[in-house]
Amino acid sequence: MSLLVSTSFSSARRALSAPTLAMLPRIADSLSFLYLENVRVVQDDTGVCAQVAKTDGSADRVYLPVASLACVLLGTGTSATNPAMATMARHGTTVVWTGSGAVRMYSASQPSELTTDWLERQARAWADDTARLAIAVRMYEMRFGAGVPEGITLQQLRGLEGQRMKLMYQMLADKHRIRGFKRNYNPENWDQQNPVNQALSAANTALYGVVHAAILALGCSPALGFVHSGKQHAFVYDIADLYKAKHTIPMAFSLNKSGNPDREARRNLREDFRLYRLMPAIIHDIQRLLAPELDETGEETQNPELVHLWDPDLGPVDAGINHALDPGW
Amino acid sequence: MSNMVVISTTAVPDHVRGAISRWLTEPAPGLYVGTVSAKVRDKLWEAVSASVGEGAAVCIHPAENEQRYVIKTAGERRRRVVDFDGLQLIEFRAENGNVPL
Repeated sequence: MSLLVSTSFSSARRALSAPTLAMLPRIADSLSFLYLENVRVVQDDTGVCAQVAKTDGSADRVYLPVASLACVLLGTGTSATNPAMATMARHGTTVVWTGSGAVRMYSASQPSELTTDWLERQARAWADDTARLAIAVRMYEMRFGAGVPEGITLQQLRGLEGQRMKLMYQMLADKHRIRGFKRNYNPENWDQQNPVNQALSAANTALYGVVHAAILALGCSPALGFVHSGKQHAFVYDIADLYKAKHTIPMAFSLNKSGNPDREARRNLREDFRLYRLMPAIIHDIQRLLAPELDETGEETQNPELVHLWDPDLGPVDAGINHALDPGW
Repeated sequence: MSNMVVISTTAVPDHVRGAISRWLTEPAPGLYVGTVSAKVRDKLWEAVSASVGEGAAVCIHPAENEQRYVIKTAGERRRRVVDFDGLQLIEFRAENGNVPL
C-alpha cells in the first residue's frame, strides 16, 4: 500500500505490470494448481483470463489469479496466446500442458529469473556416483520412513520398493473389496478403465504438475533424476514418488465407486494439499535431499538479478564489469 | 471466535442495508465489513440472501481451505462463482442483454 502511495501513478502502473519479487507470493504460500479445459487463455488489458466460448460466438471470461498460482494445467481443448504465456512467465507461474483430465503431462514451461544455486547443488550431486546413490537412498528412506541397511545397492533398494508397493496395492484392494485389481494406465482406453486407475492417473498427473512447479521454482532441473533417469522429467518422478503412498494411492482406491473419479481425485488432492501444506513440504524436502547439511532455518533470500561469473579459485565473481587486467590500448 | 466478514450489496432494498449496518460498518456504498462470530455471520447472511429481491449480494469470509476464504452469492448478476476442482474463481458472463451488470 505504501508502495503505491509513495510512487507516482505511472511507476505504480509499471510495478503492477512487471511485479518485483516482493510482490510475488513465495512458492510455498501460493495456490497449488488450476486445471483448465476447453478454454482460450488470453491476456486482455486488465489481466489473464480464460475465455469460455459459447455457441452464439460470445465468450464468458474467468480471470485467473496467475501471480498467486504455482501451476496452471492446460488440458484438452485449450489454447493460450503469446502475451498470456509471457505474463505467466513474468509471474513465475509454471504452465503445464496436459491431456484430458490432466492425466498426461506433455510439456512444462520454466520461468527464467531464478538463482542457479539449487541447480548447481543438484548437478554436482547428480554427477558424482557416490553422492547420487546417497540421495537415492535418502529418497527411499523418506518414502518408507525407515532406515535401510548400510551399503545397500540400488538393485536391492528397487527390490525392496517393488515389494512394498505390491503389498500396498494388495492391502488397499482388499480393504475396498476390489477383486483382481491391476494398476494399468491406458489413455487410449480411458473410459473402460477401473475408476481407481483413472483417479490414480489423474491424481498423479496433478501431483507431477505441482512437483514440477516446485522444482522449477527452486531453479532445479526436472531432468536430472537420482532414481529415475533418461527422461526430461526424471527428477519430477523422483520427487513425486515421495508422496504417492501417502497422498494419491490410498485416495484413488477410496474412489473405486466414483462416477467421476478423475475430477474427484483432483478435488481431494487439493484438500490434501491444503491440509498437509504439501507445497512447502515439497520445497523443503528437495532442499533437505540436496543439502542435508544446511541449517533448516528456512529459505535464503533470492536475488534473481544477480549474475556472477564462475571462478574455480575465487568462487563467484561479479559480472557486468570489465575484468581485463591491463588492456594496454 | 470472531472473524472478519465482508458483504457487498447491489441494488438491494433499503431495509436490508439498514439491517446490515447494525452489525457491520459501511466504508463505501453497499460495502460492509466487520468482525462477528461464525454463527452471527451465518444468520446475517441467511437473512440478507433471502431478501435481496432484484438486487444481489456477496459475502466473503475466512475459511479453512486452500484459498483461505469462501465466496457466497445471492441474486443474479454477470459475475458468477465457478468451482475449479475446489478453487473458487469468478466467471464473467458474456453479454446477452438479460442479466444486469
